[in-house]
Amino acid sequence: MEKNLIMFNSLTQVMQSRDLLKKHRIDARMVRTPSRLRQKSCGYSLLVTHRFDEALNIINNNGIGVLGTATVDFR
Amino acid sequence: MIYLDNGATTFPKPRSVTQAVNNALLKKGANPGRSGHKMSMKAAEVMYNCRKNAAELFDADSPEKVIFTLNCTTALNTVIKGILHKGDHAVISSLEHNAVLRPLEALKSNGVTYSVADYEPYDDEKTIDSFRRAINEKTRLVICTHASNVFGYKLPVERIAALCRIYGIMFCLDAAQTAGVVPISLKDSCIDFLCTAGHKGLYGPMGTGLLIINCDTTPESLIQGGTGSMSSQRTQPELLPDKYESGTPNLSGIAGLNEGIKFVKNKGIANIERYEMRLAQRLYDKLSRMKDVILYTNRPDSDTSVPVISFNVKDLDSEYVAAKLSDYNIAVRAGLHCAPLAHEFMGTDETGTVRAVVSVFISEEDINYFAATLYKIIKFKKQYKKVEINN
Repeated sequence: MEKNLIMFNSLTQVMQSRDLLKKHRIDARMVRTPSRLRQKSCGYSLLVTHRFDEALNIINNNGIGVLGTATVDFR
Repeated sequence: MIYLDNGATTFPKPRSVTQAVNNALLKKGANPGRSGHKMSMKAAEVMYNCRKNAAELFDADSPEKVIFTLNCTTALNTVIKGILHKGDHAVISSLEHNAVLRPLEALKSNGVTYSVADYEPYDDEKTIDSFRRAINEKTRLVICTHASNVFGYKLPVERIAALCRIYGIMFCLDAAQTAGVVPISLKDSCIDFLCTAGHKGLYGPMGTGLLIINCDTTPESLIQGGTGSMSSQRTQPELLPDKYESGTPNLSGIAGLNEGIKFVKNKGIANIERYEMRLAQRLYDKLSRMKDVILYTNRPDSDTSVPVISFNVKDLDSEYVAAKLSDYNIAVRAGLHCAPLAHEFMGTDETGTVRAVVSVFISEEDINYFAATLYKIIKFKKQYKKVEINN
Protein backbone atom coordinates (compact mmCIF):
# COMPACT_ATOMS: atom_id res chain seq x y z
CA MET A 1 0.00 0.00 0.00
CA GLU A 2 1.30 3.44 -0.90
CA LYS A 3 1.53 6.41 1.41
CA ASN A 4 -1.75 8.24 1.86
CA LEU A 5 -1.54 10.26 5.07
CA ILE A 6 0.01 13.70 5.57
CA MET A 7 0.50 14.82 9.17
CA PHE A 8 0.76 18.39 10.44
CA ASN A 9 1.58 20.35 13.54
CA SER A 10 -1.68 22.22 13.78
CA LEU A 11 -5.30 21.82 12.78
CA THR A 12 -5.17 25.18 11.00
CA GLN A 13 -2.39 23.84 8.78
CA VAL A 14 -4.47 20.77 8.01
CA MET A 15 -7.37 22.92 6.87
CA GLN A 16 -5.15 25.33 4.99
CA SER A 17 -3.58 22.44 3.12
CA ARG A 18 -6.93 20.85 2.39
CA ASP A 19 -8.17 24.12 0.84
CA LEU A 20 -4.95 24.46 -1.10
CA LEU A 21 -5.27 20.96 -2.53
CA LYS A 22 -8.90 21.61 -3.38
CA LYS A 23 -7.78 24.50 -5.58
CA HIS A 24 -5.58 22.00 -7.40
CA ARG A 25 -8.49 19.59 -7.63
CA ILE A 26 -6.88 17.05 -5.35
CA ASP A 27 -9.22 15.30 -2.95
CA ALA A 28 -8.03 15.45 0.64
CA ARG A 29 -10.07 14.33 3.61
CA MET A 30 -9.46 15.53 7.12
CA VAL A 31 -9.16 12.58 9.49
CA ARG A 32 -8.00 11.94 13.02
CA THR A 33 -4.42 10.76 13.07
CA PRO A 34 -4.25 7.12 14.29
CA SER A 35 -3.06 6.98 17.88
CA ARG A 36 0.15 5.11 17.05
CA LEU A 37 1.22 8.04 14.86
CA ARG A 38 -0.02 10.80 17.11
CA GLN A 39 3.09 11.25 19.24
CA LYS A 40 3.79 14.68 17.86
CA SER A 41 1.03 15.45 15.41
CA CYS A 42 -1.80 17.89 16.08
CA GLY A 43 -4.23 15.00 16.08
CA TYR A 44 -5.59 15.56 12.60
CA SER A 45 -4.14 14.63 9.22
CA LEU A 46 -5.05 14.71 5.56
CA LEU A 47 -5.93 11.51 3.79
CA VAL A 48 -4.91 11.79 0.15
CA THR A 49 -5.55 8.66 -1.87
CA HIS A 50 -4.73 9.99 -5.35
CA ARG A 51 -1.85 12.18 -6.57
CA PHE A 52 -0.16 11.92 -3.18
CA ASP A 53 3.33 13.07 -4.23
CA GLU A 54 1.89 16.02 -6.11
CA ALA A 55 -0.16 16.98 -3.06
CA LEU A 56 2.91 16.82 -0.85
CA ASN A 57 4.84 19.02 -3.24
CA ILE A 58 2.07 21.60 -3.37
CA ILE A 59 1.91 21.79 0.42
CA ASN A 60 5.68 22.05 0.79
CA ASN A 61 5.94 24.67 -1.93
CA ASN A 62 3.41 26.81 -0.09
CA GLY A 63 5.52 26.89 3.03
CA ILE A 64 3.24 24.77 5.17
CA GLY A 65 5.28 22.51 7.41
CA VAL A 66 4.55 18.82 7.02
CA LEU A 67 5.32 16.77 10.08
CA GLY A 68 5.45 13.46 8.32
CA THR A 69 3.71 11.01 6.04
CA ALA A 70 2.38 7.53 6.64
CA THR A 71 0.40 4.71 5.21
CA VAL A 72 -2.88 3.91 6.88
CA ASP A 73 -5.79 1.75 6.02
CA PHE A 74 -8.92 3.87 6.38
CA ARG A 75 -11.29 1.57 4.53
CA MET B 1 -34.07 52.57 21.10
CA ILE B 2 -31.59 54.73 19.24
CA TYR B 3 -28.32 53.10 20.08
CA LEU B 4 -25.32 55.42 19.85
CA ASP B 5 -23.07 53.50 22.23
CA ASN B 6 -21.41 51.62 19.39
CA GLY B 7 -17.97 52.61 20.66
CA ALA B 8 -18.51 50.24 23.57
CA THR B 9 -20.07 47.48 21.51
CA THR B 10 -22.20 47.55 18.39
CA PHE B 11 -25.92 46.93 18.67
CA PRO B 12 -27.92 45.48 17.07
CA LYS B 13 -25.91 42.71 15.46
CA PRO B 14 -26.75 41.62 11.92
CA ARG B 15 -29.36 38.87 11.78
CA SER B 16 -26.78 36.54 10.21
CA VAL B 17 -24.66 36.92 13.36
CA THR B 18 -27.41 36.01 15.80
CA GLN B 19 -28.45 33.11 13.58
CA ALA B 20 -24.88 31.82 13.43
CA VAL B 21 -24.54 31.96 17.22
CA ASN B 22 -27.81 30.09 17.59
CA ASN B 23 -26.90 27.59 14.91
CA ALA B 24 -23.49 26.93 16.46
CA LEU B 25 -25.08 26.14 19.81
CA LEU B 26 -27.83 24.02 18.31
CA LYS B 27 -25.98 22.16 15.59
CA LYS B 28 -22.24 22.52 16.02
CA GLY B 29 -21.89 22.55 19.76
CA ALA B 30 -18.97 20.15 20.03
CA ASN B 31 -15.46 20.98 21.13
CA PRO B 32 -13.54 22.07 18.02
CA GLY B 33 -10.18 20.50 17.24
CA ARG B 34 -10.47 17.90 19.94
CA SER B 35 -12.32 14.93 18.48
CA GLY B 36 -12.85 13.16 15.20
CA HIS B 37 -16.63 12.98 15.14
CA LYS B 38 -18.61 14.99 12.63
CA MET B 39 -19.82 17.69 14.96
CA SER B 40 -16.34 18.37 16.30
CA MET B 41 -15.08 18.60 12.73
CA LYS B 42 -17.90 21.02 11.87
CA ALA B 43 -16.99 23.12 14.88
CA ALA B 44 -13.34 23.17 13.81
CA GLU B 45 -14.49 24.26 10.38
CA VAL B 46 -16.30 27.24 11.90
CA MET B 47 -13.10 28.34 13.63
CA TYR B 48 -11.05 27.94 10.49
CA ASN B 49 -13.53 29.83 8.30
CA CYS B 50 -13.50 32.73 10.70
CA ARG B 51 -9.68 32.74 10.78
CA LYS B 52 -9.62 32.70 6.99
CA ASN B 53 -12.09 35.54 6.67
CA ALA B 54 -10.29 37.63 9.27
CA ALA B 55 -6.95 37.03 7.53
CA GLU B 56 -8.48 38.15 4.24
CA LEU B 57 -10.09 41.22 5.77
CA PHE B 58 -6.77 42.48 7.11
CA ASP B 59 -4.53 41.06 4.37
CA ALA B 60 -2.73 38.88 6.91
CA ASP B 61 -0.16 36.34 5.71
CA SER B 62 -2.20 33.27 6.53
CA PRO B 63 -5.10 32.13 8.73
CA GLU B 64 -2.73 30.67 11.33
CA LYS B 65 -1.56 34.19 12.16
CA VAL B 66 -5.07 34.99 13.38
CA ILE B 67 -5.47 34.30 17.10
CA PHE B 68 -8.86 34.31 18.79
CA THR B 69 -9.01 36.18 22.07
CA LEU B 70 -11.79 37.18 24.44
CA ASN B 71 -11.64 40.83 23.42
CA CYS B 72 -9.16 43.50 22.39
CA THR B 73 -7.92 43.86 25.97
CA THR B 74 -6.80 40.22 26.09
CA ALA B 75 -5.07 40.61 22.74
CA LEU B 76 -3.23 43.73 23.94
CA ASN B 77 -2.25 42.06 27.22
CA THR B 78 -0.85 39.11 25.28
CA VAL B 79 1.41 41.38 23.25
CA ILE B 80 2.40 43.74 26.06
CA LYS B 81 3.10 41.07 28.68
CA GLY B 82 4.44 38.56 26.19
CA ILE B 83 7.00 40.92 24.68
CA LEU B 84 8.15 43.23 27.46
CA HIS B 85 10.57 42.03 30.11
CA LYS B 86 12.66 43.53 32.87
CA GLY B 87 14.62 46.51 31.62
CA ASP B 88 12.45 47.01 28.53
CA HIS B 89 10.79 50.29 27.71
CA ALA B 90 7.57 50.94 25.80
CA VAL B 91 6.05 54.01 24.17
CA ILE B 92 2.34 54.72 23.96
CA SER B 93 0.28 57.66 22.74
CA SER B 94 -1.49 60.16 24.98
CA LEU B 95 -4.85 58.81 23.75
CA GLU B 96 -4.49 55.22 24.94
CA HIS B 97 -7.21 53.17 26.56
CA ASN B 98 -6.78 51.51 29.96
CA ALA B 99 -6.36 48.24 28.04
CA VAL B 100 -2.88 49.51 27.22
CA LEU B 101 -2.18 51.72 30.21
CA ARG B 102 -3.02 49.28 32.98
CA PRO B 103 -0.96 46.31 31.74
CA LEU B 104 2.01 48.68 31.44
CA GLU B 105 1.41 50.02 34.94
CA ALA B 106 1.26 46.43 36.20
CA LEU B 107 4.57 45.66 34.48
CA LYS B 108 6.31 48.49 36.31
CA SER B 109 6.83 46.17 39.27
CA ASN B 110 8.68 43.80 36.88
CA GLY B 111 11.09 46.54 35.86
CA VAL B 112 9.34 47.63 32.65
CA THR B 113 9.06 51.37 32.00
CA TYR B 114 7.03 53.36 29.52
CA SER B 115 6.72 56.87 28.12
CA VAL B 116 3.74 58.71 26.73
CA ALA B 117 4.13 60.42 23.36
CA ASP B 118 1.84 63.41 22.99
CA TYR B 119 -0.65 63.32 20.19
CA GLU B 120 -0.82 66.63 18.38
CA PRO B 121 -4.32 67.16 16.95
CA TYR B 122 -4.30 67.45 13.16
CA ASP B 123 -0.52 67.62 12.94
CA ASP B 124 0.99 64.26 11.94
CA GLU B 125 4.53 65.60 11.80
CA LYS B 126 4.43 66.79 15.39
CA THR B 127 2.81 63.55 16.54
CA ILE B 128 5.48 61.44 14.85
CA ASP B 129 8.13 63.69 16.32
CA SER B 130 6.67 63.09 19.80
CA PHE B 131 7.07 59.35 19.27
CA ARG B 132 10.60 59.82 17.98
CA ARG B 133 11.53 61.78 21.10
CA ALA B 134 9.89 59.24 23.43
CA ILE B 135 11.87 56.32 21.98
CA ASN B 136 15.11 55.45 23.74
CA GLU B 137 17.73 52.71 23.46
CA LYS B 138 15.68 50.41 25.69
CA THR B 139 12.42 50.79 23.76
CA ARG B 140 11.26 47.40 22.59
CA LEU B 141 7.61 48.01 21.81
CA VAL B 142 5.40 50.88 20.72
CA ILE B 143 1.67 50.46 21.29
CA CYS B 144 -0.64 52.92 19.67
CA THR B 145 -4.36 53.27 19.21
CA HIS B 146 -5.48 53.67 15.64
CA ALA B 147 -8.10 56.18 16.74
CA SER B 148 -9.12 57.65 20.05
CA ASN B 149 -12.16 55.89 21.46
CA VAL B 150 -13.24 59.18 23.05
CA PHE B 151 -12.50 61.94 20.56
CA GLY B 152 -12.21 60.00 17.32
CA TYR B 153 -8.81 61.42 16.38
CA LYS B 154 -7.02 59.14 13.95
CA LEU B 155 -3.29 58.70 14.52
CA PRO B 156 -0.70 58.36 11.73
CA VAL B 157 -0.09 54.77 12.72
CA GLU B 158 1.48 53.55 9.49
CA ARG B 159 4.12 56.27 9.74
CA ILE B 160 4.73 55.57 13.43
CA ALA B 161 5.05 51.86 12.58
CA ALA B 162 7.55 52.71 9.83
CA LEU B 163 9.53 54.79 12.31
CA CYS B 164 9.61 51.81 14.67
CA ARG B 165 10.86 49.56 11.88
CA ILE B 166 13.79 51.93 11.29
CA TYR B 167 14.74 51.70 14.98
CA GLY B 168 14.16 47.93 15.14
CA ILE B 169 11.26 48.34 17.57
CA MET B 170 8.09 46.29 17.42
CA PHE B 171 4.80 48.05 16.76
CA CYS B 172 1.42 47.01 18.10
CA LEU B 173 -1.77 48.56 16.76
CA ASP B 174 -4.86 48.87 18.93
CA ALA B 175 -7.57 48.78 16.29
CA ALA B 176 -10.50 48.40 18.70
CA GLN B 177 -12.28 51.44 17.29
CA THR B 178 -11.23 51.09 13.67
CA ALA B 179 -11.47 47.45 12.58
CA GLY B 180 -14.44 47.25 10.25
CA VAL B 181 -14.74 51.03 10.09
CA VAL B 182 -11.41 52.02 8.54
CA PRO B 183 -9.57 49.90 5.95
CA ILE B 184 -6.49 48.22 7.48
CA SER B 185 -4.04 46.18 5.44
CA LEU B 186 -1.14 44.28 6.97
CA LYS B 187 0.37 43.59 3.58
CA ASP B 188 3.61 45.51 3.20
CA SER B 189 2.81 47.16 6.52
CA CYS B 190 5.23 47.77 9.40
CA ILE B 191 2.53 46.84 11.91
CA ASP B 192 3.78 43.78 13.81
CA PHE B 193 0.71 43.07 15.94
CA LEU B 194 -2.88 44.00 15.30
CA CYS B 195 -5.26 43.78 18.24
CA THR B 196 -8.95 44.33 17.92
CA ALA B 197 -12.33 43.58 19.39
CA GLY B 198 -14.68 41.30 17.52
CA HIS B 199 -17.82 42.87 18.97
CA LYS B 200 -17.44 46.45 17.78
CA GLY B 201 -16.99 47.38 14.11
CA LEU B 202 -16.76 43.71 13.14
CA TYR B 203 -20.30 43.16 14.49
CA GLY B 204 -19.47 39.89 16.26
CA PRO B 205 -20.79 38.89 19.68
CA MET B 206 -19.22 40.04 22.93
CA GLY B 207 -16.45 37.77 24.16
CA THR B 208 -14.64 37.83 20.83
CA GLY B 209 -11.40 39.55 19.85
CA LEU B 210 -8.47 39.07 17.53
CA LEU B 211 -4.72 39.22 17.71
CA ILE B 212 -3.08 39.08 14.29
CA ILE B 213 0.65 38.50 14.24
CA ASN B 214 2.42 40.08 11.31
CA CYS B 215 6.06 39.36 12.16
CA ASP B 216 8.36 36.48 13.02
CA THR B 217 8.65 37.35 16.71
CA THR B 218 5.88 35.86 18.78
CA PRO B 219 5.01 37.02 22.29
CA GLU B 220 5.24 34.50 25.11
CA SER B 221 1.90 32.86 25.76
CA LEU B 222 0.21 34.12 28.91
CA ILE B 223 -1.86 30.98 29.34
CA GLN B 224 -0.77 27.41 28.80
CA GLY B 225 -2.92 24.32 28.57
CA GLY B 226 -4.74 21.93 26.30
CA THR B 227 -4.86 22.89 22.65
CA GLY B 228 -6.02 19.58 21.21
CA SER B 229 -2.68 19.39 19.43
CA MET B 230 0.64 17.71 20.31
CA SER B 231 -0.95 16.38 23.46
CA SER B 232 1.96 14.14 24.39
CA GLN B 233 4.22 17.18 24.63
CA ARG B 234 4.48 18.67 28.13
CA THR B 235 5.28 22.13 26.94
CA GLN B 236 3.02 24.57 25.14
CA PRO B 237 3.18 24.20 21.33
CA GLU B 238 5.03 27.08 19.71
CA LEU B 239 2.98 26.90 16.55
CA LEU B 240 0.37 29.50 15.75
CA PRO B 241 -2.47 29.80 16.55
CA ASP B 242 -2.26 26.96 19.11
CA LYS B 243 0.35 28.75 21.20
CA TYR B 244 -2.26 31.27 22.35
CA GLU B 245 -5.45 29.25 22.26
CA SER B 246 -5.41 26.93 25.24
CA GLY B 247 -8.71 25.72 26.56
CA THR B 248 -12.10 25.36 24.94
CA PRO B 249 -12.77 28.31 22.65
CA ASN B 250 -15.87 30.49 22.39
CA LEU B 251 -17.24 28.60 19.42
CA SER B 252 -20.65 30.28 19.24
CA GLY B 253 -19.00 33.68 19.55
CA ILE B 254 -16.52 32.87 16.82
CA ALA B 255 -19.35 31.59 14.60
CA GLY B 256 -21.04 34.95 15.08
CA LEU B 257 -17.82 36.85 14.51
CA ASN B 258 -17.33 35.01 11.24
CA GLU B 259 -20.71 36.23 10.05
CA GLY B 260 -19.94 39.72 11.34
CA ILE B 261 -16.75 39.81 9.29
CA LYS B 262 -18.64 38.57 6.25
CA PHE B 263 -21.25 41.30 6.82
CA VAL B 264 -18.51 43.95 6.88
CA LYS B 265 -16.84 42.47 3.81
CA ASN B 266 -20.11 42.42 1.89
CA LYS B 267 -20.90 46.00 2.75
CA GLY B 268 -17.34 47.09 2.05
CA ILE B 269 -15.30 48.94 4.67
CA ALA B 270 -14.93 52.02 2.47
CA ASN B 271 -18.73 52.20 2.14
CA ILE B 272 -19.20 51.76 5.88
CA GLU B 273 -16.66 54.48 6.58
CA ARG B 274 -18.32 56.87 4.13
CA TYR B 275 -21.81 56.21 5.50
CA GLU B 276 -20.87 56.49 9.15
CA MET B 277 -18.77 59.60 8.57
CA ARG B 278 -21.70 61.30 6.84
CA LEU B 279 -23.87 60.56 9.90
CA ALA B 280 -21.19 61.76 12.29
CA GLN B 281 -20.79 64.97 10.31
CA ARG B 282 -24.54 65.52 10.35
CA LEU B 283 -24.55 65.03 14.10
CA TYR B 284 -21.58 67.34 14.55
CA ASP B 285 -23.20 70.05 12.43
CA LYS B 286 -26.40 69.90 14.43
CA LEU B 287 -24.57 69.96 17.76
CA SER B 288 -22.33 72.82 16.70
CA ARG B 289 -25.41 74.97 16.10
CA MET B 290 -26.72 74.39 19.62
CA LYS B 291 -25.98 76.98 22.21
CA ASP B 292 -24.41 75.44 25.32
CA VAL B 293 -23.02 72.38 23.53
CA ILE B 294 -19.27 72.08 23.90
CA LEU B 295 -17.49 70.14 21.15
CA TYR B 296 -13.85 69.20 21.47
CA THR B 297 -12.75 68.48 17.94
CA ASN B 298 -13.01 69.91 14.46
CA ARG B 299 -15.78 68.65 12.19
CA PRO B 300 -14.83 64.98 11.63
CA ASP B 301 -13.59 63.78 8.27
CA SER B 302 -12.13 60.48 7.13
CA ASP B 303 -8.59 61.81 6.85
CA THR B 304 -8.31 62.78 10.49
CA SER B 305 -11.05 61.01 12.42
CA VAL B 306 -13.33 58.09 12.92
CA PRO B 307 -17.07 58.72 13.40
CA VAL B 308 -16.94 59.34 17.15
CA ILE B 309 -18.39 62.55 18.65
CA SER B 310 -17.65 63.67 22.19
CA PHE B 311 -19.42 66.64 23.71
CA ASN B 312 -20.69 68.24 26.87
CA VAL B 313 -23.58 70.50 27.73
CA LYS B 314 -22.61 73.62 29.61
CA ASP B 315 -23.53 73.39 33.32
CA LEU B 316 -24.72 69.79 33.06
CA ASP B 317 -22.83 66.73 34.20
CA SER B 318 -22.03 64.35 31.35
CA GLU B 319 -23.61 61.44 33.21
CA TYR B 320 -26.72 63.51 33.77
CA VAL B 321 -27.04 64.27 30.06
CA ALA B 322 -26.63 60.57 29.23
CA ALA B 323 -29.28 59.66 31.81
CA LYS B 324 -31.69 62.24 30.37
CA LEU B 325 -31.09 60.92 26.86
CA SER B 326 -31.77 57.43 28.15
CA ASP B 327 -35.17 58.67 29.37
CA TYR B 328 -35.88 59.40 25.73
CA ASN B 329 -34.65 55.95 24.68
CA ILE B 330 -31.31 57.11 23.39
CA ALA B 331 -28.21 55.15 24.43
CA VAL B 332 -24.91 57.01 24.72
CA ARG B 333 -21.96 56.65 27.04
CA ALA B 334 -20.77 59.33 29.42
CA GLY B 335 -17.76 59.60 31.72
CA LEU B 336 -14.16 58.72 31.03
CA HIS B 337 -14.70 55.82 28.61
CA CYS B 338 -11.84 53.82 30.22
CA ALA B 339 -9.42 56.32 28.69
CA PRO B 340 -8.28 58.70 31.44
CA LEU B 341 -5.12 59.57 29.50
CA ALA B 342 -7.16 60.91 26.59
CA HIS B 343 -9.36 62.94 28.93
CA GLU B 344 -6.34 64.33 30.77
CA PHE B 345 -4.85 65.26 27.44
CA MET B 346 -8.02 67.09 26.37
CA GLY B 347 -8.67 68.62 29.79
CA THR B 348 -11.93 66.75 30.32
CA ASP B 349 -10.74 64.42 33.07
CA GLU B 350 -12.87 66.24 35.67
CA THR B 351 -16.08 66.34 33.66
CA GLY B 352 -15.84 63.40 31.32
CA THR B 353 -17.77 63.73 28.06
CA VAL B 354 -20.88 62.37 26.43
CA ARG B 355 -19.92 60.14 23.53
CA ALA B 356 -22.07 59.26 20.54
CA VAL B 357 -20.84 56.65 18.09
CA VAL B 358 -22.85 55.63 15.05
CA SER B 359 -23.04 52.28 13.29
CA VAL B 360 -24.42 51.06 9.97
CA PHE B 361 -27.79 50.57 11.67
CA ILE B 362 -28.20 54.26 12.45
CA SER B 363 -30.17 56.45 10.05
CA GLU B 364 -30.30 60.17 9.39
CA GLU B 365 -33.70 60.22 11.11
CA ASP B 366 -32.09 58.77 14.22
CA ILE B 367 -29.54 61.60 14.19
CA ASN B 368 -32.33 64.15 13.76
CA TYR B 369 -34.24 62.66 16.70
CA PHE B 370 -31.09 62.65 18.82
CA ALA B 371 -30.38 66.31 18.04
CA ALA B 372 -33.98 67.36 18.67
CA THR B 373 -33.99 65.50 21.99
CA LEU B 374 -30.74 67.04 23.11
CA TYR B 375 -32.07 70.45 22.16
CA LYS B 376 -35.10 69.78 24.37
CA ILE B 377 -32.88 68.70 27.26
CA ILE B 378 -30.81 71.86 26.95
CA LYS B 379 -33.90 74.03 26.71
CA PHE B 380 -35.25 72.66 29.96
CA LYS B 381 -31.96 72.29 31.75
CA LYS B 382 -32.66 75.03 34.31
CA GLN B 383 -35.89 73.29 35.17
CA TYR B 384 -34.07 69.95 35.54
CA LYS B 385 -31.56 71.52 37.87
CA LYS B 386 -34.35 72.94 40.03
CA VAL B 387 -36.03 69.56 40.25
CA GLU B 388 -32.74 68.02 41.18
CA ILE B 389 -32.21 70.53 44.00
CA ASN B 390 -35.78 70.05 45.28
CA ASN B 391 -35.26 66.28 45.34
